[in-house]
Amino acid sequence: MTAPAVALRTYTGRTSLAERAKTAARQGSPALLSLAALLAIFAVAVANQPGILSIPGLTLMLMSAVPLVFATQAQMLIMAVGDIDLGIGYLVGLVTVIAATLLDAQPLLGIGLLVGIVGVYALVGLLVERRGVPSIIVTLGMSFVWLGLGLQLLPTPGGAAPEWLAAIGSWRPTWIPGPLVFVVLATVVGWYLARHSRIGMRMRALGSSAPTLNKAGRSLTATRVIAFALAAVLVILAGLLLAAQTRSGDVNSATNFTLTTIAAVILGGGNFSGGRALPVGATFGAVTLGFITVLLSLVNLSSSLQSAAQGLIVLAVLAGRVITERFTR
Amino acid sequence: MSSIAMDRGVNDATSRRGPDVIVASGVTKRYGSTTALNGVDLAVSRGEILGLVGHNGAGKSTLMRMFAGRELPDEGRVSWHGGDGRWDARAAAAAGVRMVYQELALCADLTVAENGALSDPRPSRAGWRGTAERRIGEVLDRVFPGHGISVIQRVGELPMAERQMVEIARVLCTDRLGLLILDEPTESLGVDATRQLYVHLKTLVAEGVSVLLISHRIQEVLQHCDRIAVMKDGAVVDIVGADRATESALLEAMGGEVRADVGTLARAKVLADAAPQTGATAEIIAELRTGDGPALRVGAGEIVGLAGLAGQGQEDVLARLWQGGRGARVPKRRAYVPGDRQTSGILPLWCVAENLTISALGGVSKLGFLDLRAKRALAARWIQALRVRGEASTPITALSGGNQQKVLIARAFASDARLVLLDDPFRGVDVATKSELYALMKAEAAAGRAIVWYSTENREMAHCERVYVFRSGRIVSELSGATNTEERIIADSFDHATGGSR
Repeated sequence: MTAPAVALRTYTGRTSLAERAKTAARQGSPALLSLAALLAIFAVAVANQPGILSIPGLTLMLMSAVPLVFATQAQMLIMAVGDIDLGIGYLVGLVTVIAATLLDAQPLLGIGLLVGIVGVYALVGLLVERRGVPSIIVTLGMSFVWLGLGLQLLPTPGGAAPEWLAAIGSWRPTWIPGPLVFVVLATVVGWYLARHSRIGMRMRALGSSAPTLNKAGRSLTATRVIAFALAAVLVILAGLLLAAQTRSGDVNSATNFTLTTIAAVILGGGNFSGGRALPVGATFGAVTLGFITVLLSLVNLSSSLQSAAQGLIVLAVLAGRVITERFTR
Repeated sequence: MSSIAMDRGVNDATSRRGPDVIVASGVTKRYGSTTALNGVDLAVSRGEILGLVGHNGAGKSTLMRMFAGRELPDEGRVSWHGGDGRWDARAAAAAGVRMVYQELALCADLTVAENGALSDPRPSRAGWRGTAERRIGEVLDRVFPGHGISVIQRVGELPMAERQMVEIARVLCTDRLGLLILDEPTESLGVDATRQLYVHLKTLVAEGVSVLLISHRIQEVLQHCDRIAVMKDGAVVDIVGADRATESALLEAMGGEVRADVGTLARAKVLADAAPQTGATAEIIAELRTGDGPALRVGAGEIVGLAGLAGQGQEDVLARLWQGGRGARVPKRRAYVPGDRQTSGILPLWCVAENLTISALGGVSKLGFLDLRAKRALAARWIQALRVRGEASTPITALSGGNQQKVLIARAFASDARLVLLDDPFRGVDVATKSELYALMKAEAAAGRAIVWYSTENREMAHCERVYVFRSGRIVSELSGATNTEERIIADSFDHATGGSR
């Protein structure tokens, strides 16, 4: 009747590396589509402009994607707990404004404001969890607060980013495209936060099934608050890196980030209902969307049509995702 | 309530029983107007398997959640080893109470190992992921040898039987297990896994763990439990040693006498006599083929009941009748009354009249334009007929739950639907309202409509001409007339074969 003695570390389910790779590929398969789209768009861009295949060419191509990738990782964290952040665009803009004004003139006040933003995000998480207010409403409301603060600090685009920040933006190593380093860094940070750490596991559990997390004896409030605070940190990084590239501040410089980050997360295999976080896929999605912008300017499409074309390409890729998911199921 | 039964139960097993681990005394729990638990006394002793049986709504799950500290009693108390501290989720976790939930407390998006780690109280330092994989892998191996589950798979990718195994293994991922509560743990397990589970429960019990087992598989309960507690109407009505219990005695204790609502029946009879006589011989309104079981037929003027334990395929039959399609012959005009009025019933921003007439708009419009006067008249007629407490222009959310339910039922009958489907619509509705609605149903059936009524309340089935009893997604019997009794429904709802039919 007694249980068979099980030697330590030798349960039958012990998984080989090959099986791990296979499972990871299957679980990450929604992200494969965004990789395919990325490669296809890259190929078209190279065919149009072979000069891209050089360190400076890749640097130019990837540069605009760096802040977007950080912001996308932030959006991914928030979508993992089942929420959506509609304030990211203006918040990134506000951070560039803070970077171009206060961070140079009064560094302590500037840093204090950035820390305050993290605190506000934590409060938003608290409000969403405790009061059941949809995150869409709270974050949309907050986006106007960010806009107002940004306009108050810097009514017209301008200012100057501090030297150290500008130096980061103009870092151009000769052996690798500089922006690629930042893109990889953002992905690793997102992967650690959402998939590898314990808190990441709880965040995904919250988005997947909040009652289960509650039954497991973990605090739903703490989980959501931490998710929002971590996302705020990533958004601030996105804003600082954007200011590093533009060397100035403009609250309206990243308004399209709000919807682009959501599209990138979905493109990379995420979902609206929460529970899922695929950092690599999110990065692929963000880079793809960044590339589309570059590609459309390369093929000399009239700038007034670019938004429409961008939207159509995103729709096509998302439709592709729906179709592939139906086949793999 | 059942002091005699309690005494008998205690006497039965005193010789073998260890000290009490957890004791519920006089526990009462109410949700709004319904009393889920009514003065329950129950004790689980060290190293025993206590079975808990009872029909739908007898209060088993509420009592389990109470033991797990997830609900606090309105009256009475739960004490652990005779202590008198507050018994909440935190205290239960500290005492080592773990529960296998019937609905499974798993996150589909997380891997098997992550699900184990989520509720594992043991600390783990660096490399927690590897630790988690090893811990749940070992438990799975120990309880279900040869399970074939990969711990890095997402739970959402697993079939139901394997999810159930993961849920059981998840609960056993702890180093301090005092009381193990199992709510229908073998519902979707195969024969082998079920046997393995009970073998493991025996080893746990030998180590001094107490087990509380809820199951509707009476044979399993009889075979594996030390004592069996029977619940009925929110109270423990009997506790017997498993060695002297029989299936028929348990079923009898779980059932109750059919208390027909005499007044309503009389009123309905008057209405029925006034209407042209129809019945089972009348025109067949709807017909549904159900796999290998008998076909389901509903005639004009008939109220047909769908009975059995909750979730045995009754909702599926209603959905198929509602949607039509393959295997279903249904009239063009149908109406559906959902059970969960909050999510799929009321239109919360609209007033009573608008909610009531939404299904009947065809009848109150001319050339595609609404005849507002006809609409108001229709609403007023039904509000008066059903004595809805509220004006036609009252916002629907301002009504009480029972009155909202009246409006939903009026909506179905205000339309010209020939087939009306009721999805357990009387949950949480008070007795007086229920009687009025039963009478309305009889009158409407007498007027030639066909009504299909799913209810988890067996007593309500007395109002039906014919009753189909469901088990494991199949119709297992068709009762009518003298055979349509609550005892028969309960007997047919439970498995007679050993191990169950899945």
